[in-house]
Amino acid sequence: MEILIKNGYVYDPINKIDGEKMDIAVKDGKIVESVGSNAKVIDASNMLVMPGGVDIHSHIAGSKVNSGRILRPEDHYKDVEPRTTVTRSGVGYTVPSSYTIGYRYAKLGYTTVIEAASPPLKTRHTHEELNDIPLIDKTCYLVLDNNWIVLDYLSQGEIDKCAAFIAWILKALKGYAIKIVNPGGVELWGWGRNVESLDDQVPPFNITPREIVRGLCKINKILNLPHTIHLHTNNLGKPGNYRTTIETMDAVKDLADGKPNIHVTHVQFCGYGGDTWITLRSGAPEIAKYVNNHPHVTIDLGQVVFGEATTMTGDGPFQFILQSLTGNKWKNADVEAEGSAGIVPYKFKRKNFVNAIQWTIGLELALLIKDPWRVFLTTDHPNAGPFTEYPRVIAWLMSTKAREKTMERINKRAKKRSVLPSVDREYTFYEIAIITRAATAKALNLTNKGHLGVGADADIAIYNINPMEVNPSKEYKKVRKALRRAAYTIKGGEIIVKDGEIVKSFVGETFWVKPTMPEELEKEILREVAEKFKEYYTVSLENYIIGEHELARSRSITVNTSL
Amino acid sequence: MGEIILKPKVAFKVPIIAETITPDNFAGKSIKEIEDLEAWEGNRKTTLGELFEITGAPGETPKDTKIIIEGDVKKVKKIGCKMTDGEIIIKGSVGMYLGEEMKGGKITVEGDADSWIGTRMKGGQIEVKGNAGDYIGAPYRGDTKGMKKGTIIIHGNAGNEVGCWMRGGTIIVKGNTGLFPGIHMKKGTILIEGDCAGRCGAMMKGGKIAVLGYVPSILPSFTFEEIKKSFKIKGEKIKGPFYVFTGDLNENGAGRLHVSVEKNKHLQFYEKFLE
Amino acid sequence: MKTISNVVCPFCGSLCDDIEVDVENGQVTKVRRGCAISIAKFTKYGEERIYKPRIDGKEASLEEAIDKAVEILANAKYPILYGWSCTSTEAINVGIEIAELIGGVMDNTASVCHGPTIIGEQDAGISTCTLGQVKHRADLIIYWGCNPAHAHPRHMARYSAASKGKFVKGRNERKVIVVDVRKTRTAKAADIFIQVEPNSDYELLTALRWAVKNGELEQPKIAGIPAEKIEEIADMLISCRFGALFFGLGLTMSAGKARNIEAAVSLVRELNNYTKFVMMPMRGHFNVTGANEVMAWITGYPFAVDFSRGYPFYNPGDTTVVDILTRGDCDAALIVASDPVSGFPTEAVRNLAKIPVITIDPHETPTTMISKVVIPTALVGIEAEGSAYRMDAVPLRLKKLVDPPPNILSDEEVLKMILKKLKERVG
Repeated sequence: MEILIKNGYVYDPINKIDGEKMDIAVKDGKIVESVGSNAKVIDASNMLVMPGGVDIHSHIAGSKVNSGRILRPEDHYKDVEPRTTVTRSGVGYTVPSSYTIGYRYAKLGYTTVIEAASPPLKTRHTHEELNDIPLIDKTCYLVLDNNWIVLDYLSQGEIDKCAAFIAWILKALKGYAIKIVNPGGVELWGWGRNVESLDDQVPPFNITPREIVRGLCKINKILNLPHTIHLHTNNLGKPGNYRTTIETMDAVKDLADGKPNIHVTHVQFCGYGGDTWITLRSGAPEIAKYVNNHPHVTIDLGQVVFGEATTMTGDGPFQFILQSLTGNKWKNADVEAEGSAGIVPYKFKRKNFVNAIQWTIGLELALLIKDPWRVFLTTDHPNAGPFTEYPRVIAWLMSTKAREKTMERINKRAKKRSVLPSVDREYTFYEIAIITRAATAKALNLTNKGHLGVGADADIAIYNINPMEVNPSKEYKKVRKALRRAAYTIKGGEIIVKDGEIVKSFVGETFWVKPTMPEELEKEILREVAEKFKEYYTVSLENYIIGEHELARSRSITVNTSL
Repeated sequence: MGEIILKPKVAFKVPIIAETITPDNFAGKSIKEIEDLEAWEGNRKTTLGELFEITGAPGETPKDTKIIIEGDVKKVKKIGCKMTDGEIIIKGSVGMYLGEEMKGGKITVEGDADSWIGTRMKGGQIEVKGNAGDYIGAPYRGDTKGMKKGTIIIHGNAGNEVGCWMRGGTIIVKGNTGLFPGIHMKKGTILIEGDCAGRCGAMMKGGKIAVLGYVPSILPSFTFEEIKKSFKIKGEKIKGPFYVFTGDLNENGAGRLHVSVEKNKHLQFYEKFLE
Repeated sequence: MKTISNVVCPFCGSLCDDIEVDVENGQVTKVRRGCAISIAKFTKYGEERIYKPRIDGKEASLEEAIDKAVEILANAKYPILYGWSCTSTEAINVGIEIAELIGGVMDNTASVCHGPTIIGEQDAGISTCTLGQVKHRADLIIYWGCNPAHAHPRHMARYSAASKGKFVKGRNERKVIVVDVRKTRTAKAADIFIQVEPNSDYELLTALRWAVKNGELEQPKIAGIPAEKIEEIADMLISCRFGALFFGLGLTMSAGKARNIEAAVSLVRELNNYTKFVMMPMRGHFNVTGANEVMAWITGYPFAVDFSRGYPFYNPGDTTVVDILTRGDCDAALIVASDPVSGFPTEAVRNLAKIPVITIDPHETPTTMISKVVIPTALVGIEAEGSAYRMDAVPLRLKKLVDPPPNILSDEEVLKMILKKLKERVG
């Protein structure tokens, strides 16, 4: 199928195209130079054209997400999607059903989404759900930092063997990157405890969080993985934790070689100043200052949008604290030899001091970090709010007026404590395109995504708003409205959304990395792992491995390692 | 006052969802317009006119509209959903979710009513002359927002979990109840004139419960406070004496549970804590 | 002869995956490591089989049977689709799409076993883990209203009381408490047996929680247990390093049902203020957990989903199949890999017998006897592959060991054929 998108205002930051009026040609799922005269023409005059969105951190599939669904029937029953001739039925709201996730991302103009935390033992479940998320391309990060085999190797200083194990596990379980969640702390949660600093000991492994992070960072480099280590800090959700965040970033500074080597995720949740909930203040200025001066770091926001949320993380001890603070229902799910997830429903309220501070932190980070290529838009869906609220966040970033409007309604003490009222930066459409697709695709090294150059995947979002006429600063409501429902979303060269409605549905790809490894090394590692497996797991090694045929549409990406 | 009469055309086999049967939806409409209102028969979308023979004339406003349902509507769910005013009289038995999210007006059932009467009710009155099912005034699963205001009176017996997650209002059961009346309740009043199968006020944080009949035991997370002579409900004094307990202490609750002294001789041992 | 190792046992929720099977001439001839139930399952799977589809008791071709099934389902105004706990996740997935397409009620057997566990969880949450966590760490294990020695024969040795873990090396390093209404085989092997009065689990759980909070018990005896004994047990729970509570139908089906689970969840939550504590339902059928999982990710709800209005609606008590049947609300039934006629209350069975029933099952059962359409299928985990979820929601891949009998397809394949024809008909 050929498509010609005519006369749109194109924002394609990777190719340095900033609102230029131009045509985009699509053939066989790719962007091409030109198409024939029979191509379907989409008149994008007076519309905004961007690459399809790429979400670097969202909880969309797997045991933790599904536990959230099961835990919260009250979350779904007022937000229902009846079956149509094109789409399956489903439910929202903060933890939507799998089909609904795919459709709602597509309606926002997003075409690639990463599940941010899959415990290896339950990754088969993650893939089974990813298979049932239509339209978007997807993959998952594997949680590896509290994995006993990793901890064994790291504590023995066997970095190469550990690297080989991680290469194997990414390939065997069809994952994309190394996820780190409260390193060491989650292992201690096995005993109901936690770590408090990067240098706490984690018995019986005789290792510290700092050593785990550094080890995995080195391994990431040895394996030459497309993404950096993707890290959820220690002390998440605690007042004063911005220091831990900066310290963690600094812990791998010397390992960098000019490029980013660490991604710290949902920094809003680890950007707290003060010492207690009463003295809480934003730590965003300090973090932004560090990031501005250190090119080895990228972050995403975890921006709070007020309203219902469902907190779900691989950080069991953090979720335990949250259930104590809220008294809300609480699910905890430890995974043998690997980690622990927790879930607590949560409602972010404007008038609540802490929640209002949290809201300011995300925006401060986005506005104070100068380089948009290193700060990405997320709500850590559904932790700080559902992904469907991204347009609200975009409006806040593009308009001081939008921010002021909300600030008038938030907790007064929180407003007084924030630097936000004094920040007058407003994002441009070009910058929005960076933080929602170009920079995330780049950070994931998905070279065919996030841009509209010839050869790129034809994943395109067209929004019904004229960037030359609308002034986002003043008319932020128009921006919000247009971005909520794409005029067109094109995925792999097929029109999937028209006027905000799904018009076609199919299964997107699941991509995963296949790191190269000398055969001998792989054999040796597997021998050792097989031994450990018998001791550590209640399943056999053979049954842990996920076959490629278990993925609905598998796309492996070979990675040349230096193993 | 306008009066509209609905008669089922046949005995219903599969569940019917007829949330359109409210004075609010009927007021000011012609019979034809009322007949065209949407309903569900199992998985088929249908209309009230397909299901009921409809006669009479509604009033101009909900307040002036009385709906009379003649015949058995045991399979019909959600009658009176979100109604704000007026009256519904059901001259038989009725299905689930009667008066769901009701805000005002009155519903009377001459027969029995199935479970989830007045689920998430916010006002008005529901009176059932026969027996009632489980979960009176309760919200849907997983939700914590139960009945907030209004009155529900059951003349017969009621099932389990009367007033589950209740946040206000009054429930009176003249007969007996099943287990867990007032479970998770935060505010409001429940009066049980008959016996209760047990576990009154489990996990309650606040509110008042009184049982005039027999209860097999008091939950161990309730503490005995005193013997009181009477119990007040809607300004009316009900004569005791009552054993009074506070709980549920497991939830740091401060609910008050009143249990007839006379009908519960087996609870006498609590009196030793009076000294 | 060939030997297949690391076979996942498709019998109970333990899903032991270390079974070794010899296959000769297309038959399983020997089973190693399996429990008695497992061995019987693997070696006697050929008994009581159905080999030909039937309509009204007469043999029919597969195509005729499918056409008849499609006709019944497409015409039904309130059909139920029930069973699903003894088949693959993939088959259940297809079943959900059928239910959605025809506006039916999709429910699995959790509805009559651990449904209350799920409802309890929806009010209070749950602190749980995978079985290996118990094996490595638990120095105190409670079995409440369950009898693994009988129903999950290898559970204690492989995963719990007698397993060998990294930190806790075996049975002598663990304290085992059994709470039940009678002295079961599991109870006989326990360190402490607490005989709770029937239908008083809720009172006992509430008392334990209050005692853990250091509250005073005003009643001398609760649930038949002296107050001092309850306080003693509470102290024991607080002072373990890692506690695990396994529970079964003795808790979910005793008076209070979901509320018993909520009380247990609340007790365990309280204990986490003092130590580490988890709990886990002892799921019976091998993929009932998978049925809950796949239904939840597609519909938002783990069982009892009513699609009659085109979208998922859930409210157990209303939308649970056993309640629908008892009220006589449905007008057709598709039963897959289950035998409700043997297990359901009389009134429900009587109403089931009044409506057209389509049963998809490898074996002859009392339910196939009352069915209008019967379609035999292959046994997943022996004759077909597929995914299944262990009681702790660890997903495993069931293997195909031998070919099914001639012309017999898997549940998944048969359901896909029904779905395809239904789509042609309903659109």
